[in-house]
Amino acid sequence: MAQETYFHHSLKINDYLCTGCSSCIRACPTAALRIRDGKVILSDNKCVDCGECMRTCPSRAIYVKQDDFQLMDNFKYRVALVPVTFIAQFESRYKTKAIYSCLRELGFTHIYEVEHGTKFLARLYRQYMADHPEIRTFISPYCPAVIRLIQVRFPSLVDNIIPLKSPLDVAARVILRQLMAEGVSRGSIGIFYVTPCAAKIASVKSPVSGQDTCIAGVINMDFLYNKVKLLLKNAGKDAVAVNHSLTGKDILWPVTGGESALFSESSFAVDGLANVIEFLENLEDENIDVPGLVEMRICDQSCMGGPLTVNNRFVARNRLEKRAQLVDRVLRIRKEDPTLDNPEFTDDLAKQLVIPAIKPRSMLKLSDDFSTAFRMAEEMKRLEKALPGINCAACGAPTCAAFAEDVVRGEADIDGCVFADIRNNPPDALRKVWGERLDNQNTTTK
Amino acid sequence: MHYSFDIERGNFTDAGHASASVKRTLKQLDVAPASIKRIVVALYEAEINAVAHAYGGKIDVEIDPEKIVMVVADEGPGIPNVDLAMTEGWSTASQKVREMGFGAGMGLPNIKKNTDELKIDTRIGVGTTLTMTVYLNS
Repeated sequence: MAQETYFHHSLKINDYLCTGCSSCIRACPTAALRIRDGKVILSDNKCVDCGECMRTCPSRAIYVKQDDFQLMDNFKYRVALVPVTFIAQFESRYKTKAIYSCLRELGFTHIYEVEHGTKFLARLYRQYMADHPEIRTFISPYCPAVIRLIQVRFPSLVDNIIPLKSPLDVAARVILRQLMAEGVSRGSIGIFYVTPCAAKIASVKSPVSGQDTCIAGVINMDFLYNKVKLLLKNAGKDAVAVNHSLTGKDILWPVTGGESALFSESSFAVDGLANVIEFLENLEDENIDVPGLVEMRICDQSCMGGPLTVNNRFVARNRLEKRAQLVDRVLRIRKEDPTLDNPEFTDDLAKQLVIPAIKPRSMLKLSDDFSTAFRMAEEMKRLEKALPGINCAACGAPTCAAFAEDVVRGEADIDGCVFADIRNNPPDALRKVWGERLDNQNTTTK
Repeated sequence: MHYSFDIERGNFTDAGHASASVKRTLKQLDVAPASIKRIVVALYEAEINAVAHAYGGKIDVEIDPEKIVMVVADEGPGIPNVDLAMTEGWSTASQKVREMGFGAGMGLPNIKKNTDELKIDTRIGVGTTLTMTVYLNS
């Protein structure tokens, strides 16, 4: 079915490595994957870029496509826009200074930490919350996979998302401004963001608003980790001065609870795919009353658990916590980023950070026409009862319900279910597993 | 399309399954999110009412192209004074139920607010049947 594609995806499938084992299709929270012709295929408008498929693939057949590292050569000024999560990938014996000097050696002329923008952004969140007293629960826009999950699966909650861009958008504009103030031309600056996940790439490549993100390229964190690790092993580097203007709170932003901690009045922190889905379901049904800000990240332990991270997520978290403690204890006097003190710049920046509208992109609806959708839903319900309900995935869909949906949408043939006929009269080998009769197991609605 | 579910006395933890499966179908039909919210809230409240006050019951949901009709029928003490029960904040819920966070006296008023039509049939000592109708695509 020809459909408009709403989202850019950097998650790709290597057909050569894919064995069609169906591990990934079961892991997907939006049922965006199917097996066809022995290989997995991805439905672009359903995928939210959470990376669960990539984590679960036993054949390493799912990967994140990154920009060509050589893209750097096109720019005289090459800025590495690095989240603190990157430093957290290394054992503590490798100091921040040493890691950054390796980045210099790899060709970056400037290194800038993403989290410089968090304080400014938190101020904008607060302003937005104050301006919208009619909204009770505000969902943080920080995790792009969460935003997409809401768009496709929880369309009724899109208005709860604070429509603001992320710290990386602030940081990119600040560094651009600083370099241009030094007389550098815009065209000679290339900003490269180091990403812990596929979702962030997608948000850079197709920002919700369609505006310029100022980012020339995106580099996968695991790729850059390997390059730096190799240099670290070879030792003996020129030290690079680390700009110590990050506060402990800035450093903890990408860690679970780091963002919500700035909203001590009333805030919640939810991480991990299953937890996020459960929370959104409850929020949608109004089973829970959640006033204030909800920080919501799709990965367990937030960005520390990003699909492109290398280190154990708890060890990574610990490294950032230690750095935050140290910074708060030792560096009492901190020079603020002067660029973010200039109201002329910040007023304009605040405007650029607004996302005009986050639209619902429901992938659940069966048809635009209500009576057609109604007939399809009826048919689906009938089909689901006829299917064995064992979610074996042999048909290439993750569950019998997803298969029934594929059939009514005309994307699969009912013959695709090999068990539909034998469920009531299973062969001996399967009788041991299924028992005598399967009918009544599948007819209760509760 | 018809759905039916059983209601078990005092089983607050299982309540909500009915509204969850109805919600899934309504999303497939692309019913306006605001209407889905009203339906889910009304159905959940009615189920909780029955779980808290009755000895057991049944939920029957019928969706047709124009409307959704939700019938929550319980065997229970009945509502002695319907007008009073419709008053916000009035509740006969037991201490145990209140300790679980329910019984704030918002049940029926909330159902009324979230449905287009509400019919209450109640007989003392026999039970209560709520018939709730919400028009789709209005």
